[in-house]
This record gives sequence, structure tokens and C-alpha cells, in this order.
Amino acid sequence: MTSAARQGLVSCLTCRLLTRTASPTAPGHCPRCGARMVVRRHHSLQRTWALVIAAAICYVPANVLPVLTTTTVASTGSDTIMGGVVYLYQSGSWPLALIVLIASVMIPLGKLIALGHLLISVQRGSVANPRDRSRLYRVVDVIGRWSMLDVFVDSFTVALVQLSPLMSVQPGPGVVFFMAVVVLTMLAAQSFDPRLIWDPAEGQGEAR
Amino acid sequence: METDTPDHLPQAKLVPPKGARFSAIWIIPILAAVVAIGIAVQRILGEGPTITIVFNAAEGIEANKTFIKYKDVNIGQVTAVRLTNKFSKVAVTAEIQKDAAELMVEDAKFWVVRPEITLSGISGLGTLLAGNYIGFEAGNSERRQTTFAGLDQAPVAAGESGRQYTLIARDLGSLSVGSPIYYRRLRVGQVAGYSLVPDGSEVRIKIFINAPYDRYVYPSTRFWNASGIDASLTAEGVSVRTESLVALLVGGLAFDLPPFAAREPAAATEATFTLYADRLAAMKAPDPVARHFVLYFKESLHNLSVGAPVTLFGLNIGEVTSVGLQVDPDSADVKPRVTITFYPERAMAYIDEKSKGIVESLSSADAQRRAAFVRRLVEERGLRGQLKSASLITGQLYVAFDYHPGAPKQKVDLDGPTPILPTVPSALANLEEKLGSVVDKIDRMPLEAIGSDIKKDLESLDQTLTSVRKLVTNADNELVPGLKRDIDALHRTLETAERAMANANTSLLESNAPVQQDLRDALSEFTRAARSLRVLLNELERQPSSVIRGKVESRSGAK
Repeated sequence: MTSAARQGLVSCLTCRLLTRTASPTAPGHCPRCGARMVVRRHHSLQRTWALVIAAAICYVPANVLPVLTTTTVASTGSDTIMGGVVYLYQSGSWPLALIVLIASVMIPLGKLIALGHLLISVQRGSVANPRDRSRLYRVVDVIGRWSMLDVFVDSFTVALVQLSPLMSVQPGPGVVFFMAVVVLTMLAAQSFDPRLIWDPAEGQGEAR
Repeated sequence: METDTPDHLPQAKLVPPKGARFSAIWIIPILAAVVAIGIAVQRILGEGPTITIVFNAAEGIEANKTFIKYKDVNIGQVTAVRLTNKFSKVAVTAEIQKDAAELMVEDAKFWVVRPEITLSGISGLGTLLAGNYIGFEAGNSERRQTTFAGLDQAPVAAGESGRQYTLIARDLGSLSVGSPIYYRRLRVGQVAGYSLVPDGSEVRIKIFINAPYDRYVYPSTRFWNASGIDASLTAEGVSVRTESLVALLVGGLAFDLPPFAAREPAAATEATFTLYADRLAAMKAPDPVARHFVLYFKESLHNLSVGAPVTLFGLNIGEVTSVGLQVDPDSADVKPRVTITFYPERAMAYIDEKSKGIVESLSSADAQRRAAFVRRLVEERGLRGQLKSASLITGQLYVAFDYHPGAPKQKVDLDGPTPILPTVPSALANLEEKLGSVVDKIDRMPLEAIGSDIKKDLESLDQTLTSVRKLVTNADNELVPGLKRDIDALHRTLETAERAMANANTSLLESNAPVQQDLRDALSEFTRAARSLRVLLNELERQPSSVIRGKVESRSGAK
């Protein structure tokens, strides 16, 4: 299989028009939509690595710090994401607990692991299962936005539950980190160029 | 992969653009790391000490839910509750905030605040909603500590300023922790605690007087029990005192400065006072000089209580200090013994200004002269002690000293620590005695002899009456016939008189009586005479000249 890049062809990332590269070093601009064309995204691996690492760092406080602070007449309680999951499970709502667990804990973690795996495999020039890895990338790309479920519920609760003297709910610092995790992983997925998966398969690395 | 490229020229390599070895994108993970580390550092630095409080029971304490509050501000949170000390106690682990770490000194106090409803008030109402929490009171020590023993009960007046005092009482009465303390009926403090002294002879009551009022507690201040109703029935009547309705229900204490005491600087903290039974006892002036005397009575001491007044001519000069029995070693005779205490100062208060000097000189004189004075009073004037009833209702007795000039003369021995003063039986005992003697006399009367005498008298009376009756019969027999004759004679006389009257009647008043006949005749004569006169007069009227010329023949009659 010969890649388009090797044959001096490049596809516009905006309008998907397949053109000949203007020169071997610089592909130039798309003749149809005028967008700047790249053979491979610039610094794709480096950017993705940076974003993935940042997301991984943020993942720790996102789970340790409370996402929701509930103040009632009786007491003040802080809940972390895992605390909420445990509470939901203990109060019998195990389907809800499962949803929160999957959407808020497992998906961000899974994305981080998946992106890490893709990055490492690409960097090592692995040729194993490029098709599966491409599918993994698509899943990561598609699923990313659903992780915002927790942030969405959090902001909703904070906005609605303001029964001032009796009860009030404040967002905790954890939710900011959690949002950062979601946004950073989405950006990481965006900056990763899936075409890199296939490059080693041609036997000749065109990395970076 | 070798391709079918015709030429074997070297292929140019794609080199990434220069100057972009490290992308700016790396700022993002660095930033994230910095923020995350910053938060972690802040967390670690902001962490206060972890302490352990050992409670007997951890009612309503839950890990991660129960707070430790000082002045209603959270200073920590319970992180774990577990059993300890062979499962007999509860160890509560709590994380204290860093800014409150300095408060964790060795004499800090912890207790569980729970809702409490007692008669004297409701506390911890907030815990009904918020759940129990651990109360905290700061200590004064400087030494930090991490393990504390929790109190079972909230310390009284936690966080309030004031002073603590100790009262010594015979018993606790109806007091309990939290019982109110009143000063001029203001609630100024409360009972903080109580304990028995080690030998169990008295109770030590710890009280707490709140800050502005503690300066009214002077060293000579008297405390008394204001529990319930203080109703006393005295010779003056019934007096009822109570401090407040709460004190009535739950008991309480009151204090005041006795009128005779001076206002000194406020009493020191932890000062000890005696708790008096009531206001009257507390306010009683102390009697510095006291002289003791012994009295022996020959009657029942029932209703004579210790503390009963001793009066001199009706004025209170002392009190009964003990009531007991005395066994005479020689005669093995048992007699009631009453010890009285005489307070000369009280007697002095009654003495007027002029004679005060005499008494003062006497009291300052030597014992010999004093004894002589008392001896004169007792031996010459007949000063005697006597039991008297203060009130007919209660029957309480007191000891009264009065002059009894008729009392048998008696010598007194005023030497020795407790001289014996002579007594006379009480009026009541006297009365009994007299009644007894009267009954005795009645008993001894020869009632039978008297009865037979009376019988004899009655018999002679009967005889007298019989002779009277005889006398009357004689009179009847002898006097009545004579009388009858006299009466007959009288009767006849009357008859004669009657006849005479009848004669008179006939001769004078009957129609044919001569007198009447004569009278009638006389009257008719008179009538005729009157008619003749009328004729004459008529004639004269018609012919007045006839008197002169004589009678003219009736011409007029012819016309």
C-alpha cells in the first residue's frame, strides 16, 4: 500500500480535496477552499504528548478534590466524584452509579490510556494492528464530548439548588480540574494525527 | 519496500522546520503541574494536628460528619470513631484546622453537645437539626497535647467569664448541676458541680457566678439554699419566701451580704463559703461572746428543739444548744438537761444608753463580780428558767428567764465552765399539778357522809312540812265556823239594808207614792196659776188702760 504522501499527494483537512503538493517540502494551500495543507500535522506527537500529560496531571486533583460542596443547616459536606459514585451505589441507584462511574471516571482515564498507547506505539514505529489502533482513535475522538456529563450535572445542580438559608450547593475545585481533563484529552485527540499510525506500516518512518 | 522507481538517486528527507524543537504546547502540562502541586502543597501545609479524644460514649458522633466547634465555629472535623480500651471507651479521631492547632493544649476540654431539656432550660437545640457536635473549651496551659479525655457533660458556663467558688454544705438538698444562683432575685450563676468530701461528712458544691455579678461576692457574703418554698411558722406568724418559680421547681441558691458585714473587696476565685439552710440562718449576726449554762428541768422536753430561743423577760438573748439527759452518779437519778448559750452582746443591744456603762463595766470586770451579779439576780430576786410554749399551734417550747419571787430560795454555783441555773416548773406543768390536786381533793371528799346528812335533813324537812299541814287543819277547824257566823250576820244586815232601800224606793219613786202625788198636785196648781197670768197679760196688752179705768165690756167682741 502506498501512501498519498509518498506519491506527492496531499488531502486538504478542511474540504478533503486531494491535490498534488506544491513542493516536496511545503504542500501549500488548497486550491479549492484555500486552507493551509499539511502532509502530517506539525508536531503532532509532541503536542499530543503535552496535552495528555497535562490531562493526566489534572486527573489526580479532579478525583481527589471535591466537585460539589453542599451546605445545609445541619452541616457542610464535600463530595468527590468517587464519593458520589459510592453514595449513589450505597443508596441503591446502582445504574446511576454505573453511568457516573463510566462517564466521569473510566472514560477520561480510558482516553488517557488510549492516547498514551497510540503515542507510544507511533513513536516506536509499531506496525502491529494499525486498523485496531485507528478504530481506537476514532472511539476516543467520538466519546470525548460525553465526559462533560459530570460537569453538566454539576453546573445544573449549583444553579438550581440555591435555597439560601436551608441549603446551598457550591462547585468545588475538583470540577475545574475535571473539566480541564476532559478539554485537554479532547484537544489531545484532535492534535493527534491518525495518519501517523499508518506511516510505519509502509516500512519507512516518516515520523514527525 | 522497494518500489519500481526507475532511478536510484538518493531521496531527500523531510526535515521538520527549525526553531520549533519544543512546542509552546508544553506550557499547558507545566501549568497544570504547577497548579496541582500548588494545591497539594497548600493542602499539606494547611493540615492541622490530628487529635484523639476518648469518650465514654460517642452519642451521635459520626466520622466525617461531626465537627468540633469552639464558640460555634468549626475548628475541626471527626475523621474516625472506634472503640478502644478493651471496647469500654470510644476513641474519636479528629483533624483540627491549622489555625486552631494552638488551642490543643493539655487542659482543653471536649464534650459531646446534644439537645438537653431540663427544668432550668433547653440547650443544644441547634443539634436537633445539625446533629450532635463536639464542644470545645480552650485551656490555659501552654503545653500541646494530642490525646484528650472527653467530658461526659458540658462544663458549666463554658466560654463565659466569671468566677468559681466552693460551698460547703451538710447535704446537697434539691440542687443539681445547672441549678440557678440568685442575687437579689437576679439569676447570676449556676451550680457547676458537686462532690462529697472524702470522709463523706459534707458536700462541696462548685458554683459559677457570671462575670458582672462576681464582684458582689465578698469574703463575708453568705450563701443559702433558696430551694423550694421556705415557709416558716414562727411566733410572728407564717412567712413564705421563694426566689423564683424555677427555684421552686428545681432548687437554687441565693447569696447576699449580711447587713452587719462590711463591703470588702470581692472574694478571690475558688474561695470557700458555708452554705446555710435558709436566709434567716444565713443573715444571722454572729455572736462572738457566748456563755453556756445548764438547766435541769423536771418535766418533758418534748417540743424543745436545739436552736430554740432563750429569752430574758421576753427578749431573745440566746439559744438552746443541746437537749439531753443527765444521770446523777450518786442517786442514779435521770433528769432532763438543757444547755443554753447566752450571748451577752444580744442582751447589750436591749440595754439603754444610761445603764450601758454599768453593764459594760460589769462585763469588763473580773469573773468574781460577774458571778456576784448573777447570784444576786438568782438568789435575791428569784430569776428562774422556765419552759414556755411559744405557740399553741406548734407547741414549740422555749426557755424563758423571769423573776419568780415566790420560788423557793436556791443557791447557785457559778464556778466551773457551765454553771447550773435553777428552774421552776412551767406554767403548763403548774396547771397540770393544780388540776391534779383539785381532782385529788374531790377524790378525798366524804361524799357518802354528805349524802346521809342530806338524807337526814330531808327527813326533818318532811316532818316540818307535816306539822305545817296539821297547823293548817287546826286553823280550818277552829276559825271557819266563827267566820261563818259572822258572815251570816253580815248577810242579814245586808238584807235589812236592802229592805230599807226598797221602802225608800216605794215612798219616793213609785207613781202613786205620796211624795210624787203631792208634787204632781203642786205642779198642776202652778200650771193654773201660769194660765191666769197669761190671760191677765193678754188683757193688758189689748187694753193697757184697764189698769187705770178698769175692765171695759167686750166691744171688740161685738164687732
